Amino acid sequence: MEQAKPQQESQATESDAKHLASFAVMIVLTAIAFAAVTMDIVPPAMVVPLIIGLAAIQVMMQFFTFMHLDFKKHRITVTFIFTGLLFGVICVVALKYLV
Amino acid sequence: MATLVTIIVFILFLSAILTGGYNKELMDRFRSHWLWDWITTVDHKKIGIMYGIGGGFFFILGGIEALLIRTQLFYPNNDFIVGRAFNELLTMHGTTMIFFVAMPLLFALMNMIVPLQIGARDVAFPFLNAMGLWFFIAGGILMNLSWLFGNAPDAGWTNYVPIAANEYSAGTGIDYYVLGLQISGFGTLMSGINFLATIINMRTEGMSFLRMPLFTWTSFISSALILFGFPPLTAGLFLIMFERLFGANFFDVAAGGNPIIWEHLFWIFGHPEVYIVVLPAFGIMSEVISTFSKKRLFGYTSMVFATILIGFLGFMVWAHHMFTVGMGPVANSIFAIATMTIAVPTGIKVFNWLFTMWGGKIRFTTAMLYAVGFIPTFVMGGVTGVMLSTPPGDYQYHDSYFVVAHFHYVLIGGTVFGILAGFYYWWPKIFGYKLNEKLGKWNFWLFFIGFHLTFLIQHFIGLFGMPRRVFTYQPEDGLTLINQISTVGAYMMAVATILFVVNVIYSYRHRVPVGNDPWDGRTLEWSIPSPAPFYNFAQLPKVRALDAFWHEKMKGNKEMEPAEPLGPIHMPSNNHLPIVIVLGFFISGLGFVFRSNEVGALGLIFAFLMMFVRSFEKDHGYHVETDEVEKVEKGVKA
Repeated sequence: MEQAKPQQESQATESDAKHLASFAVMIVLTAIAFAAVTMDIVPPAMVVPLIIGLAAIQVMMQFFTFMHLDFKKHRITVTFIFTGLLFGVICVVALKYLV
Repeated sequence: MATLVTIIVFILFLSAILTGGYNKELMDRFRSHWLWDWITTVDHKKIGIMYGIGGGFFFILGGIEALLIRTQLFYPNNDFIVGRAFNELLTMHGTTMIFFVAMPLLFALMNMIVPLQIGARDVAFPFLNAMGLWFFIAGGILMNLSWLFGNAPDAGWTNYVPIAANEYSAGTGIDYYVLGLQISGFGTLMSGINFLATIINMRTEGMSFLRMPLFTWTSFISSALILFGFPPLTAGLFLIMFERLFGANFFDVAAGGNPIIWEHLFWIFGHPEVYIVVLPAFGIMSEVISTFSKKRLFGYTSMVFATILIGFLGFMVWAHHMFTVGMGPVANSIFAIATMTIAVPTGIKVFNWLFTMWGGKIRFTTAMLYAVGFIPTFVMGGVTGVMLSTPPGDYQYHDSYFVVAHFHYVLIGGTVFGILAGFYYWWPKIFGYKLNEKLGKWNFWLFFIGFHLTFLIQHFIGLFGMPRRVFTYQPEDGLTLINQISTVGAYMMAVATILFVVNVIYSYRHRVPVGNDPWDGRTLEWSIPSPAPFYNFAQLPKVRALDAFWHEKMKGNKEMEPAEPLGPIHMPSNNHLPIVIVLGFFISGLGFVFRSNEVGALGLIFAFLMMFVRSFEKDHGYHVETDEVEKVEKGVKA
């Protein structure tokens, strides 16, 4: 744990830019979501799937930039989280359409 | 109330008399008793042994239930056990055998062996491990109390609603099932997490993931399946609990609910559960076959890959239990094809076992006999599995004895053979002496022949049209003789099981201490004394190859090269809180079963209070000093 500290400090400068960039992207994504609902650009049936897709991208950005989920350092943890998410999504989608 | 006070006073008197009068040493006397040592233990080997005793006890119970079922089916129109009592027997048989026999016996072997195989001194969370054990015992006892108080669960081990709802199953029966499984499920989830953390974090130096023995690998994957598979069961059981106890309407169609939800939740858990109990058995077989063929396991990497793939696909196929529910042809086809895919990694495994034996120097010990008998038996179970995975065929086989034959072939032919092979194989490591081989071979042949006699014919009972879970048939159905053959086979298996118990007692009374390595083993556990000292490894070993101990033996070394100097060993101290916390949950469960919400709530409050106490406990364990370690090691060698 303590050995990881100096590494983090050296990353601090570059992660500032990364944070700003992903913040901007997230603002844009949110704007697209609002636009999709208010401005009749997308067909109504596609609005919800589109927003869910945008939300999925945003969640990933949250995880990896702002919540510092680092695949290289926590390979097993991340694998388990995403396997669980995958199983969860499959079960929920299946239950939605089968029940 | 007066009775209660009288009983308490009486117990106090009795304990005072038995412990030699009331004095300050009372607690010391308790603490120095051997039973206290076992109740409070956090040692993974002792916990493993207790899992074994508990699982063995429920195995006998479940076996008696099976015998009663088969006895009733011996004659057409028999009236030995009929109607509701028969339903209770088959429900309790199924539930007991899956949750209180297969799982705990596998946890027994995992507890005893996995830390030794990865070169660890203990598991990652010894306290949690002990709690898992007591949760299992509490859940098992709670469910089986229904035999004593009457009104046992009778809706089948799948407990489908609406038959399991209040409307059709009034009384306490199903509540025993729901709360018993809920409580033991907490324990299973804890133990699963514990083994994940242990295997990820506590491997010794050089023990990379791809050098782990296959039993450790399969335990790892099956713990992951527990982690993902048990929450749906917990959720489903909560729904059914609230429906039954507090009048919720999750499954009531008239109130906007849907009974199919339970079937989905149950099988989202239930199908991975099948792999949870069979994967560790695959691991045991891999170890046994490789050791007794004196060869490295053929295709180790593909075995690991197949294990992961089976675990992954296990979550994609649950709806094949529900083909006849009416999900439509598209859903049925998707799940049928996903199910058939699982035959591929399983086939990889079967061929790897065969190729491991090919050209090997095979020794037919009892463990090896079970492993060799397992291969064709499991393949037959697999083939009927592929047959059942075809929806048009499944409409014919559905709810017939064909299904019963299929899942007994995979569960007994896979899991039970694996567990027995594991016990014969690792017995010397756990207790320091071997089980008698002659009795062992009798045990194997009786069990093997009895098993096929019972269940091979059940395929045909099913194809001739007998539905499962019925308590009788008519003489003109033409099912009498084949049912009688099946019953005879069941009694042969019972004799074989008694023979195993005889073998355990006989081998204990005629025990000859064996050395570290009675089977000429390949993995780390055989490099330490038998039985393993309580700290496992005096010095953690350095692993230099797959089959670490074999590698050292081939290099001409008698022992593993240590990865650290001899020093004080840090060990966790015993703790009585696990059993106390579980006692709270047990009382709570019993309270809810009897529809006394006050007792239920009090039990929960007590349990959480004890958890609160635990979180303020400052116990960092103790150290075993170097001279004590040296003394133990010398004593073992002399």
